[in-house]
Amino acid sequence: MLAYLSRRVVLALLTVGAISVLSFVIIRLPPGDYISSYIASVSMSGGFVSEQEVQVLRREYGLDKPVYVQYLRWMGMVVQGRFGVSLEYRRPVSEVIGDRLWLTMVVAIAAVVLTWALALPIGIYSAVRQYSLGDYIATFVGFIGLAVPSFMLALVLMYLGFKYFNANIGGLFSGEFDLAPWSLAKVWDLAKHLPLPTLILALAGTAQLIRIMRANLLDELSKPYVVTARARGLSERRVILKYPVRVALNPFASTIGYLLPYVVSGSIIVSLVLGLPTVGPLLLRALVAQDMFLAGTIVLLLGVLTVVGTFLSDLMLLWIDPRIRLEGTR
Amino acid sequence: MRWRFRRHKLAIVGSIVVIFFYTVVLFADFLAYAPPTESEAQRSLLAPQGIHWVDHGRIDPYVYGFTGRRDPLTLKRVYTLDPTKKISLRIFAHGFPYRLFGLIPTDRHLIGVVGARTEDTLFVLGTDEQGRDLWSRLMYATRTSLIIGLAGVTIALFLGVLLGGISGFYGGGVDTAIQRVIEILRSIPTIPLWLGLAAALPNDWTIGQVYFAITLIISLIGWTELARVVRGRFLSLREEEFVMAAELAGSSQVRIILSHMVPSFLSHIIAATTLALPAMIVSETSLSFLGLGLRPPAVSWGVLLQQAQNVQALAISPWLLIPAIPVITVILAFNFTGDGLRDAADPYGH
Amino acid sequence: MPSIAQSWLLSEDGKSATIYLRKGHKWSDGAPFTADDFVFWYEDIYLNTDIQPVPNPDFMVNGKSGVLRKINDTTVRFEFPEPNYLFLDILAGSTAMGGGMAQQGYEDRTMGAYRPAHYIKQFHPKYVGKDEADRKAKAAGFPSWVAYIKNRWDWRLNPDLPMLTPWKTATPINTPTWVLERNPYFYEVDTAGNQLPYLDRIVMTLAENLEVLNLRAIAGEYDLQERHTAMPKIPVFLENRDKVGYNLALDPALNGCDAVLQTNQAYDGDPEIVAWLHTADFRRALSMGIDRDQLNETFWLGLGTPGSVAPNESLPYSPGPEWRNKWATLDLAQANGLLDKVGLSKKDADGYRLRTDGKGRLRLEIATAAGSFINHTQISEMVKEQWKKIGIQGDVKEFERSLHFTRMRSNEQQIAVWANDGSEVLYLFPRHALPVDPVEAFLGKPIADWYASKGTAGKAPKDPELLRALDLFRSANGKKTEERYKIAQEIWKILVDQVYSIGTVGQSPAVMGVRVMSRKLGNMASRQINAQHCRTPGSSQPSTYYFKG
Repeated sequence: MLAYLSRRVVLALLTVGAISVLSFVIIRLPPGDYISSYIASVSMSGGFVSEQEVQVLRREYGLDKPVYVQYLRWMGMVVQGRFGVSLEYRRPVSEVIGDRLWLTMVVAIAAVVLTWALALPIGIYSAVRQYSLGDYIATFVGFIGLAVPSFMLALVLMYLGFKYFNANIGGLFSGEFDLAPWSLAKVWDLAKHLPLPTLILALAGTAQLIRIMRANLLDELSKPYVVTARARGLSERRVILKYPVRVALNPFASTIGYLLPYVVSGSIIVSLVLGLPTVGPLLLRALVAQDMFLAGTIVLLLGVLTVVGTFLSDLMLLWIDPRIRLEGTR
Repeated sequence: MRWRFRRHKLAIVGSIVVIFFYTVVLFADFLAYAPPTESEAQRSLLAPQGIHWVDHGRIDPYVYGFTGRRDPLTLKRVYTLDPTKKISLRIFAHGFPYRLFGLIPTDRHLIGVVGARTEDTLFVLGTDEQGRDLWSRLMYATRTSLIIGLAGVTIALFLGVLLGGISGFYGGGVDTAIQRVIEILRSIPTIPLWLGLAAALPNDWTIGQVYFAITLIISLIGWTELARVVRGRFLSLREEEFVMAAELAGSSQVRIILSHMVPSFLSHIIAATTLALPAMIVSETSLSFLGLGLRPPAVSWGVLLQQAQNVQALAISPWLLIPAIPVITVILAFNFTGDGLRDAADPYGH
Repeated sequence: MPSIAQSWLLSEDGKSATIYLRKGHKWSDGAPFTADDFVFWYEDIYLNTDIQPVPNPDFMVNGKSGVLRKINDTTVRFEFPEPNYLFLDILAGSTAMGGGMAQQGYEDRTMGAYRPAHYIKQFHPKYVGKDEADRKAKAAGFPSWVAYIKNRWDWRLNPDLPMLTPWKTATPINTPTWVLERNPYFYEVDTAGNQLPYLDRIVMTLAENLEVLNLRAIAGEYDLQERHTAMPKIPVFLENRDKVGYNLALDPALNGCDAVLQTNQAYDGDPEIVAWLHTADFRRALSMGIDRDQLNETFWLGLGTPGSVAPNESLPYSPGPEWRNKWATLDLAQANGLLDKVGLSKKDADGYRLRTDGKGRLRLEIATAAGSFINHTQISEMVKEQWKKIGIQGDVKEFERSLHFTRMRSNEQQIAVWANDGSEVLYLFPRHALPVDPVEAFLGKPIADWYASKGTAGKAPKDPELLRALDLFRSANGKKTEERYKIAQEIWKILVDQVYSIGTVGQSPAVMGVRVMSRKLGNMASRQINAQHCRTPGSSQPSTYYFKG
């Protein structure tokens, strides 16, 4: 067991290392660097940057060095727990990400919870009543979220909210709370803004979970113990909920690892359309402006989240269901 | 298997819809009645035309002519119908010339009008800001997007089966290495991956090359899921007796794989592929939304949806959102078909 | 600059400009604003090569640097070795010398002619020693004192920075909400003696997305919004204005064209394309193949002015109304005639003209940037459709904005689309009209290199008329105002007649000219000047805006 754990930890660390390299490569892939996008933005606003100034800036930001040197310097900082200064925001990366990370988590967790709340009942229902009219309707509804492009759904719902319900437009806070320190009123304000992004994000992931739940449950329902339980005359409700649903939930645990990063990543587009102050739009801007430390840190963060999530869900599986063989010991 | 598939009614409907859409792909030029880029300011943002079906007591579809101007107070384009100008519709009418299937030169289109240029008179789904006919653009967009989906899936399928197969068949170190790669690829949020790769495309590429590259990028991410499925099947099949028997009988590995293992999980692959296709289509629209996918002048679902992705489209010209309908329909159809196939291939299975 | 000076005087020979400051003028922290703040900027910032590696052209005449001298506590003098009659314009315009701290005091900018010496000195090695300056920088998380001092004078980031403007930053711009607070020592008072500005606070919220911003503006969540409110949305604003309670104002710009097709006069790729881009009649034909009324109706809602690149006729630089339409009206017959005449008479089966070297159809690449204020890509697509009628195949390609510039810098573009805003004031901002500024020269970066280096680098223009325009432009250096105007008119005549830049539609509110303002606000102009050197909303005195009872 311990050997398995340490093996997993080592592998996870290696994966994180590989992710950091890959994320840096991806960020430096497009032609040009931060300075070229800086020049473009200065030119747009009518400013002037001379060739010499450009060179000085490149030196100042270390962009005159080869990419691997830039990477190693960045890694050197990251290991010490510093993530560098965002080139565009001119603040330490950790500050720029700051609150946004927590807000992203809030949105993501709310979306995950809603996804489960939608997917579980639909999944159970459509497994138990396979091929019934209800199965079709439930599946259909569950899949709509998958089929409607999220950016479009987000804009349409936001517009309808404005047009017919006089709802707040985008964001996670009303103007007066943007600056306010955390208080009960601010949390309430956040709660009022949450439903729209949560719903859109949750709808996108629901179909996948319905599918898994349905397949797992169908699998369990055909097992002899269920047949026996039925034969014993237990109520259908008890038969299904007591064991099969629980067992079917096990593989669910394995999806947790991917679910959170998936929602965070999937939330980029929705956050962009709805103007949410989460890391999504920040990442996109950083990538376009080639703000490499900021973008690199966010990508790395999401990667680590996935790895940790996968690791945790593996542990959880191990704990819930000891029948699962230890992959690493094979 | 066919019997089981039939039980899944949504899947049957879904597969009919899918077939219908690929027919549109084949006959896009025939179904369109205007070149997709022909613009005209004087018919900018025209709402979908009502087709009148009955004239003088018999079925003779026609539309009215119209004149447009900009309202000086609201600054909107307003159009007034001209009831004296009836324009009759015909099927299999002559229109702009094209090559059917890229081969047969013709100018026949599904519909057209009598006594005028169809391009100037018929706007079944209205027009966009540049006065281009939405129906015709939609036909071409369907072709582009569905082909991208298909091509992307083909590449993903190839990569997935190859790497998943290797991983599952050989196991051991190769397996671990491939599984790590998959884990790493899945740990990186897809958007930066797209963004990085799409931005790195050489800028002197033609639309065709970009088109292909985008497909490649989408499939680069799509293959991991397929590889997982294939590997899983290989792992479980490896233990099966018939494979063992074949091995003992001295069959070559390739032969074992091709003639014994592949057929036994072909249905799974088909199902997984069917489920991967809609993801490709969604990816294409998302990439276009981010300004990274196909860009105008190319016409794809993503391009059409992106043009509708603004406040004025919702407020003034909601018909620009019509392209969402085929997108949603086809994604649902693929999903239901895929589910049905999977149920049929393995009713209780992973 | 004109606002912070009490008066100014340009010497008769044009070699010196004296600026008289107000006695008792104070920074926002109450410290006196004096000539020493100019001297500090000049000696310790501008002449410090760690901060400013090379002299800035705005502080030079004919390539020779000027100097800044303190006369007394409230008087400074800019001196030049040669006549520099333009310098007052430079001080007044949106330039490196004239922009003041509002424009030159953010990001990595170093110019602006003055800094609050009493505050900035504590970060400067000359006053605290290099070790101490570096230590402060490190402690604040900056790699060097240079990076840190630039951060400290960034008025949008540093709330501690003393300012002269009506408002100063309270919460920095790199947070979700940028808040400005009144400057209690602002120099303006109204006629009743009340301290300006009337508004105590300005709150600017970050909208992560333009549609969110516009929808919020439509819903009346902003009291004033005038950027990123795009023209195609005007009908939606109009529809909602009474319901929500705001007014809509349009501020047409003075520049000639919002979407200029700039032909690269230094292109050195495909020789066939090079030859055609250098042929005046070819360019004229392209221009006459464009149906500008169609473009105007589609993208400018009919509110723009079609025509060439020439600036608004009210400006002294304008060559006159007849140059507005020269070579800039739709004339297919003449365009086709010109193309046939220059040797492009052979066409392929689809009606497109063939190259003369037998390599198939002639194709011109039109490069556009993604995310411009008006949709250059869509406009170009329409132009491409229109060019079908003159048998010219255009290939529209959209690039990410910084890539658009990178391509220009490496001289890869054939025809690039950009607006010519700013160049209506030709001498202060020529880069959108003439290839003289290597930072941005869509007409040919090598030519701009050649011009800026006085012929030691880059490539001279092949076209004698362009050479004449550049010579004229250089000759205006040091000339008096009236003469300069005449020369500018002459330059515009060349530019319009030779059609190096193909104009489409301009003098419109497309760029920052769609203003949504709450009916609660008072003293709002119904029309304000909207130009690069007279920017909005500054051009309508925001310090006098107020909320009605």
